[in-house]
Amino acid sequence: MAQRLDLLDPAEVARLGGIEIVAEGVVEGFLAGLHRSPFRGFSVEFTEHRAYQAGDELKYLDWRILGRSDRLFVKQFEEETNLRSMILVDASRSMAWQGTPERLTKRAYADRLAAALALILLRQRDATGLVTFDDQVRQVIPARVKAGQWTRIVRGLLDTPDGQGTAAHTALQRLTALLARRGMVVLISDLLFDRELALAALRYLRHRGHQVVVFHLMDPAEVELSGPPEVRFKDPESAVSVVVRPRELARAYADTVRREIAAWRKSCRRHGIAYHHVQTDMPFGLALRLLT
Amino acid sequence: MSFIHPLALLGLAAAAIPALLHLLQRRTPPQVDFPPVRYLSAAERESARRLKLRHLLLLILRTALIVTIVLAAARPLVPLRGGGAHQPTAAVIILDNSPSSGAIVDGGLVLDRLRVAARSSVGRTTSADRVWLMLCDGVLRGGSREALLATIDSTHTGWLRLDLVQAVERAARIVSAQPLVDREVHVLSDLQRTALASRRAAVPSDVRVLALAPGREAPNRGIASVTVSEGAAVIDLSGSMLDAGGAPQPVPVTIRVGGGRNRGEIAARGLATAGSDRAREATRAVVTVSLPAQSLAPGWWVGEAALEPDELRADDRRPFAWRVAPPAKVMATVGAGSFVAAALAVLQEGKHVVPGRDVVISGGEVPTSSRAIVQPPADPALVGQANRALASRGVPWRWGQLGTPGVLTSPALAIHNGVAVVRRYRLEGGGGRGERGADGVLATVNGEPWLVRSGNVVLLGSRLDTAWTALPAAPGFVPFVDALVNRIVMGEAEVLSAEGAPRVEFRTRGTDTIGATAFGPDPRESDLTPAPPAVVTAALGGKDRTAVLSADRFAAERFSGTRRADASGMLLILALLLAAVELGVATRTR
Repeated sequence: MAQRLDLLDPAEVARLGGIEIVAEGVVEGFLAGLHRSPFRGFSVEFTEHRAYQAGDELKYLDWRILGRSDRLFVKQFEEETNLRSMILVDASRSMAWQGTPERLTKRAYADRLAAALALILLRQRDATGLVTFDDQVRQVIPARVKAGQWTRIVRGLLDTPDGQGTAAHTALQRLTALLARRGMVVLISDLLFDRELALAALRYLRHRGHQVVVFHLMDPAEVELSGPPEVRFKDPESAVSVVVRPRELARAYADTVRREIAAWRKSCRRHGIAYHHVQTDMPFGLALRLLT
Repeated sequence: MSFIHPLALLGLAAAAIPALLHLLQRRTPPQVDFPPVRYLSAAERESARRLKLRHLLLLILRTALIVTIVLAAARPLVPLRGGGAHQPTAAVIILDNSPSSGAIVDGGLVLDRLRVAARSSVGRTTSADRVWLMLCDGVLRGGSREALLATIDSTHTGWLRLDLVQAVERAARIVSAQPLVDREVHVLSDLQRTALASRRAAVPSDVRVLALAPGREAPNRGIASVTVSEGAAVIDLSGSMLDAGGAPQPVPVTIRVGGGRNRGEIAARGLATAGSDRAREATRAVVTVSLPAQSLAPGWWVGEAALEPDELRADDRRPFAWRVAPPAKVMATVGAGSFVAAALAVLQEGKHVVPGRDVVISGGEVPTSSRAIVQPPADPALVGQANRALASRGVPWRWGQLGTPGVLTSPALAIHNGVAVVRRYRLEGGGGRGERGADGVLATVNGEPWLVRSGNVVLLGSRLDTAWTALPAAPGFVPFVDALVNRIVMGEAEVLSAEGAPRVEFRTRGTDTIGATAFGPDPRESDLTPAPPAVVTAALGGKDRTAVLSADRFAAERFSGTRRADASGMLLILALLLAAVELGVATRTR
């Protein structure tokens, strides 16, 4: 029986080939597992049933339900719109980190997730673009729906090297100028930057009417602290280091991480921003499903 | 505090291991890239105080754990109130069961009190100790604790005197030679002053001597000795002769004579009165009781002198023995003098002597008969000739220069003591050369020999004449001559005294009885006066090593480590608790 790549371990899937192959395989499996397209808006599309009310048009009556249950339901449809999506990928040095060699780096995971997402969006005929950034914007591929756009996006991901520090708010501010029409902004990052500044930029996007989605990537080793009895941990971006005993600080660290995630989630929710915490051992299909 | 295994304390150096490990671990921690350092810093800031406390607590706990284990291995002995183990000790327990321990004081036997203390001392011993028990016989008894307890239980009042100074000295030497931590001598005695000789015991400095303080002094009098002389028994009493009011009290003495040869028992009584000497009157008295006429027949006689019962029964009776010889065949030469001739006539009439030549009494000339009693010649010019005759007969004694006047002193002829001697020759030459040497001296004047015996010859320093001595005019002259011819020159059968259960044993040679030994307690046992603590301390090693203690203090002080307990068990429990706490702190605070 053929296996669905979207549900396999990301590291195993990544070993199958480059970003394109992985993204296509993931998207194929992902779409095959869905009865319907996860994203609405590219045509007049059925969305849900509701009880019939007097005055409703009979052409929308669902005769099958009436035949089976002798109850009156009408079908509801959403109007097709042209979605403009922009995927922001954090390419800072902290993203080029993996807890163990068996796992993907956060950057590799983010690239594959972004490619798969872009492919899905482009297949839905939505204009999709890409921005990569570290402490400055590195790559900008404007949102298009024309053929070859996905290839450009993939190349853009591949051409972006691992950067230095992270300044998300700079990239986000520049993005506002690129997104004249309302659309969807997907930020894929480990969010290791100043939360308030980044939130200010995201709030601005939201204020402009954009749908904002945040994928908070973390390696499992960043969630649960482990290591030798005593170790000096160094931030690859800022060179700040700290000597700790992982076993005795593990609980306090886990509490801090939980509080940080909760703070991001709470702040995002308050401003209508979708927040998803994703660990790099999560199958791509499950991560994509968070968007549905 | 002391330790059974002090070398184990070297392990205390291991207490530095936790601190050293802590320092060494901190020195070179590996460096690892870790992007969310900001989370770490935040977590560490929040936990810094808790972590510092935890580190300090763990360091203290681990150091304390090592220290506790090392201390437990060293097996510390900590002071305790009563009970507990003690350091390995070599101990000699001297249980003085000499005759004086049979005294009844406050309704109880002295020995019972001493036995309780001895049992308690032995009961405190452990398998690590070496313990001996010494009784009045001076024999050191080793063995297990149970064996020693059994010996103590079966101990009764003995008949031998124990010289405490000698006993303590010997015990101290024994324990001092033992390779143990402590060395003690426990003296359980009534501490009679007579048991502590004038000399001091040599006690090594590493030996403690603990003496149990004596109980109340009990009044006692006893028979020190009985001697038979000239038909009378001279009974020497010792002990207190005072009544309750402190006044000298005549002491009734009973003599029972039983021949043991199918003769019936004969009794005689007398009253002993304390002497006039104020210094001695309380402790010495002599009574002379004439022996019944029936007991003067020739042969061996056994008797017993007895006092009324008092607190110490062991010295209230004392057996004695004497021999009545058959009448000697005696003749006196012309030179022997008229007083001798008169005395022999009286003795002949009383059938104490019969005419014959077995014994010849002369007045200067040396007879050739087998036994001779020789007076110095009346003419000083004949002294030299007489001396040559004595020498030719092999007698080492000779008459020398005239001696100074004096009074007669004779242990063998006690009733003649004090008789004046106005003229005498010094008897010379016998000391160290005669058959018995100085032992041949039977009486002295001014400390110089006056009556000596050499073989079958008896020499007098004076003529038995009132011009030379008052003896012929004394009432005891006839008994004196009787003793000379019947006992002294005939070779008196020796009656010895010895320590032991009261009895008389005869010595025989072939079918002849040649002597007897009268057994009884040492006369010094009758004096129950305890020595003052200072005297005891001085006699038994000095105040640095010896202590006289009450029963309570004795129980507390014996085995210098008795009040210490092995704390290793408690320390191991503490170590387990520390380990549990350390485990809890190390795991729960992660």
